[in-house]
Amino acid sequence: MALFPVISNFQYDFVLQLVPVDTENTMDEVAAAAAHHSVGRRVKPRPDKVVRVRRQGSETFFPRQAKLSETDIQPMEALEFIFCDG
Amino acid sequence: MALLERSEWYDIARCTNWTPSYVTDDELFPDLMTGAQGVPMAQWESYDEPYKTSYPEYVKIQREKDAGAYSVKAALERSRMYEQADPGWLSILKSHYGAIALGEYAAMSAEARMCRFGRAPGMRNMATFGMMDENRHAQIQLYFPHSYCSKDRQFDWAHKAYHTNEWGAIAARHTFDDLFLSRSATDIAVMLTFAFETGFTNMQFLGLAADAAEAGDFTFSSLISSIQTDESRHAQIGGPALQVLIANGRKAEAQKLVDVAIARAWRLFSLLTGTAMDYATPLEHRKQSFKEFMSEWIVGQFERTLIDMGLDLPWYWDQMINEFDYQHHAYQMGIWFWRPTLWWNVAAGMTPECRDWLEEKYPGWNDSFGQAWDVIIDNLVAGRTELTYPETLPIVCNMSQIPICAIPGKGWNVKDYPLDYKGRTYHFNSEIDRWVFQQDPLRYRDHLTLVDRFLAGHIQPPNLAGALQYMSLAPGEIGDDAHQYAWVAGYRNQRTEKKAA
Repeated sequence: MALFPVISNFQYDFVLQLVPVDTENTMDEVAAAAAHHSVGRRVKPRPDKVVRVRRQGSETFFPRQAKLSETDIQPMEALEFIFCDG
Repeated sequence: MALLERSEWYDIARCTNWTPSYVTDDELFPDLMTGAQGVPMAQWESYDEPYKTSYPEYVKIQREKDAGAYSVKAALERSRMYEQADPGWLSILKSHYGAIALGEYAAMSAEARMCRFGRAPGMRNMATFGMMDENRHAQIQLYFPHSYCSKDRQFDWAHKAYHTNEWGAIAARHTFDDLFLSRSATDIAVMLTFAFETGFTNMQFLGLAADAAEAGDFTFSSLISSIQTDESRHAQIGGPALQVLIANGRKAEAQKLVDVAIARAWRLFSLLTGTAMDYATPLEHRKQSFKEFMSEWIVGQFERTLIDMGLDLPWYWDQMINEFDYQHHAYQMGIWFWRPTLWWNVAAGMTPECRDWLEEKYPGWNDSFGQAWDVIIDNLVAGRTELTYPETLPIVCNMSQIPICAIPGKGWNVKDYPLDYKGRTYHFNSEIDRWVFQQDPLRYRDHLTLVDRFLAGHIQPPNLAGALQYMSLAPGEIGDDAHQYAWVAGYRNQRTEKKAA
């Protein structure tokens, strides 16, 4: 358990934001934390979609249940949060 | 007694170079301070300032300028400009005074460095007048807003801003410390007077004086005109310095100074002027969009100046022109959403009519920025105001100190431009900002952005309230919507009409 700041680059939003999460959070939980600062504020909710996480510039998403501590994501790395079908 | 014409004595009187006998020339004019880049003194003597004036002429003209501006202020003291002006105009005044007034003091120090360490006598002479100009600009831009302080505490930020850690103040300080305060005399001539003043402020002040008159604020209009006439004179210090550098084989070095300065100036200009022109200026007073203004004055005119000088366009010129389409729109969304972190109330500029104008001037605006504003407007119409306030910090660029932002919605292109340097990762808004850092990492590497400070524990408690306290924003000063959300009524009515139909 450790506080872990990441940079949220949320699809369709206009700005990068600081999002504090925890090393024990899963990717779905990290996505929810990032969504809190974008969706319904400047990004229209898309209830039929799930938000997946990937490294900036990558095509591949991290597994939804992977914990942050199980990945090689660095503190303050820019992550992209993308609306997906599932 | 008959006096000689200025042209008969000027060249002799201003030729103050001499051969030192008690110290060496290098000790008197160290290259670190002169920035002469090894070009010998004799070559610098070819420096020929295009605008010549003598001290008595200068004093006479400046006295008249001051008398003019102060008498307009006195005559209009009882006018009800403050009460009658559109709140958007007051926002422009507050942001301008806070960001610029003390920056003029920084410019005065920079001019003073040219007075002492300028390698050319003509440069030292011109800079002596420039130094006095900048002192006048600082004082007059502190004195004029002072009369509004009793009506509105946000005007106190004309003086307060630079003494705080408010993020916009950090951005202005970082830029001006870089371009004005921590450079050699020659660097200052190129970066402050040629790039920043000729390229941006001279043009901006011309536009701003016209906007003020249009808004009925004749006090500010006369103040700005008074300043602009000084700017157009001392901005000419840089041109001949560049000519000397280029003629003596230092074009690459000169080009780099110009490119760095334009890159840095463009960010501040986009933040302050871009948002003021396209959003805070009431729709009926807008003559040109920011993009049109930039294309005509900066691209059209400054481009010719660069080429005539024998310089190339900066390598990022096309990218900068591309940014005319979106960067200031992104900054506008940022300053409105993070409005509690500013010393002025932000005019949304978002009535349905304003949006039509934005779509006309920037085709596709509704599909990009408009989509994000739609969500904000939905929240305001539904009374969910809390969702229109931030709960975290935006990531701030390690160069501009302004949030990293770009196009939302359709055409989403937001991106971090990171750089690993000696164990630390820096984040930049664009390749341009990152390139500036790479030109001189030692100069920039130790600075902490507001987010870096937050993560380092400098901001306590570590939340938005702590951040506001860190930025010295007191109750009564914290920014809000300039029109108290009156513009939202336009959307409420639209929806009521739609329902009824």
